[in-house]
Amino acid sequence: MYPRWLWPLSALPGVVWLLILFLLPLYAVLALAFGTVDPILLSGVPAWNPLDWNPGWMSHVLDLLVPGNILWDVFLRTCRYVVISLVGCILIGYPVAYYVARHASRTKSLLLILLVLPFWISYLMRMLAWINLLSPGGYGLRFLSDTGISSVLHHLGIISDPSNYLSGQSFTVILALIYGYIPFFILPLYASLDRIDQSHLEAARDLGASPFRAFLHVTLPLSKTGLLGGAVLITLPMFGDYYTPNIVSGAPSTTMIGNQIDLYFHGGPQPTIGAAITVLLAGFLMILMLYYMRTVHRASRELAA
Amino acid sequence: MHPKERRLATTRRDFLLRSGGAAVSLSSISGLLAACGSTTPADNGAGGGWPTGAGGIPLARPSHPVTLERWEAPIASGMKPETGGTFTIFNYPEYIDTAVLKAFGKKYGVTVKVTPFDDITTGVTKLASGTVSPDVTEMTPDLLPRVVAGKLVKPLNLDYIPNLKNVWSGFRSPYYDVGSRYGVPYTVYSTGIAYRTDRVKEDIPNLKPNPWDIFWHAQAYKGKTALLSEVRETIAMALLHRGIKDINTEDPKRVNQAVKDLQELYKVCSIKVGDLQYQTVPEDKAWLNQAWSGDMLAGYLYYLPNKETGKLLRFWNPGYGNGPIGSDLWSICSTTKKPVLAHLFLNYMLDNGVAYKNFVDFNGYQPPLDEIQPETLISKGVIPESLADSVLTERDFGGKALVEGPLTTAGQSLWQDGYATFQSGA
Repeated sequence: MYPRWLWPLSALPGVVWLLILFLLPLYAVLALAFGTVDPILLSGVPAWNPLDWNPGWMSHVLDLLVPGNILWDVFLRTCRYVVISLVGCILIGYPVAYYVARHASRTKSLLLILLVLPFWISYLMRMLAWINLLSPGGYGLRFLSDTGISSVLHHLGIISDPSNYLSGQSFTVILALIYGYIPFFILPLYASLDRIDQSHLEAARDLGASPFRAFLHVTLPLSKTGLLGGAVLITLPMFGDYYTPNIVSGAPSTTMIGNQIDLYFHGGPQPTIGAAITVLLAGFLMILMLYYMRTVHRASRELAA
Repeated sequence: MHPKERRLATTRRDFLLRSGGAAVSLSSISGLLAACGSTTPADNGAGGGWPTGAGGIPLARPSHPVTLERWEAPIASGMKPETGGTFTIFNYPEYIDTAVLKAFGKKYGVTVKVTPFDDITTGVTKLASGTVSPDVTEMTPDLLPRVVAGKLVKPLNLDYIPNLKNVWSGFRSPYYDVGSRYGVPYTVYSTGIAYRTDRVKEDIPNLKPNPWDIFWHAQAYKGKTALLSEVRETIAMALLHRGIKDINTEDPKRVNQAVKDLQELYKVCSIKVGDLQYQTVPEDKAWLNQAWSGDMLAGYLYYLPNKETGKLLRFWNPGYGNGPIGSDLWSICSTTKKPVLAHLFLNYMLDNGVAYKNFVDFNGYQPPLDEIQPETLISKGVIPESLADSVLTERDFGGKALVEGPLTTAGQSLWQDGYATFQSGA
């Protein structure tokens, strides 16, 4: 017989981890967003006591987030990039995860290794590889030109310069975001699809559903939590990403909200503005997170029922 | 990250302007700063009418030299250097030759380690937070008053630094630190335009009325044109494009106009910002790039895909009084446990042989030494004649030189917000 406190105790390392590496830093950012600036060194001075909080910076940033103001433009651009990248990840990632989970019997292990392979190389290196691929004379650029893809993209108005993908084009940033984050999307989705009981699909087929209807009414709903999990996993870091646009674009016209945070934290007399933007972004992402948690909770209840 | 990548302070001014309060914005920002305790009471005027910055120290300009008060007595003369252990240098990555450091370590029996920072403002923040405790640090004139006021660097005893005599006379007692009380020079540079003659057809040095205008006529170089990712340099360039030579202006109208001019570049040439110009121009990834004078030398020395490319590289130096010039220096950190050795390091870096080796074998950024002259470097074949403009002379740092000096806190916010507006791509 185990003592009653044993299993709750096993959560202790995780709780300590969360406290030290998540809640405490989060509170530090909050304290900085409501804090002051050292008059000599111009570094941020967090206000640890909420009674001492100064709302000036936060309300200033909120003003900047009003439609028509500059942060609003950057925020909208970031949302656009993230949503398009997410759709791209779903369109590319779902079939891959589906195939590996449902149809790759003998090659499953190999495919799983291939899916994990990108994690062996740093994100930064993978992004830098795009610079060479898309540079003049690069294999990527040559492929896109030779296959006519560049012409089609140009004709559709998706890219402005088919000969220079690195000239600060939104398409390149989105392409890089999809490329960089898609492994994080596929793996949880694969796990979710792999767990679906084959008998559910067989029952649907026995009841006369076509393969497509069986997918639509059985597989897709049962993979919803995996789909949302993958989406959350890539959406949250994408919103704060600043190095991807820096590396593959470098143009102000592709700046994301993370770049603005970086700019204010990187030096100068207003790190508090960077902290305030961070807090507001975290608040916005919390809404997405809550939706995910609610969906997962509901799905668990339905399964239990 | 390029060694010279630096970001300085600025404000949210243009954001407010966009929201409809051009006249209100500076006052609201200043009010906000004041409310948050971020504006020193001495700002804008406690120095007998001359504006002051951090710690009430007057803003240094060539026309208004500043003597920094010693916050403690320098170390005594005649002491022996400390030996053993580690000697830590706080610096940009790849901004000093490791061979030079190894030789210093061997000479004094210490292990020399470089702790890098991304940019000097981040470096100062780290010094202030105590997360690093180096012996010496690279520093810039505009940040020197701040680190002095914050007691982050120690006063020098120049008895240990006889090699100071090797530097240009103006740098033996520079305007930002009269008497060299807190620093000795490391490198000098100017800001100009790097370009490739095989791609850029205009004769940039002879462009009328103003060579800086090339960026606003760079439609043919779309996607191949870039500016430095640095608050002061970017906005200063736009001011110079308008013919405004006050590159330390805190006039919101001027700064906002400069930002609007910069925003035009999105459409003109899909302008990019970055700090890899020493690499991208030689590699044909950028054709027209705002750059520091050391960039094309570094590019010539290290990043040529082939020798022929070297002949195509050019650097337009705006010349005395027409473009920004700057310098970096070495200071001794308050955290040092080896103050004598730290002094000797500063002296070592000013040795003619060491400084020259560091310059031509590695850094590409020129030390302000009497011995280094463009003619000598060309005659020795160190640099091609086509890049002679990249080497500065003492005359470039005369009384009418355009320096990016320290700003008041409100001024820094003004510039930072302007840069943020440009960077937003809106």
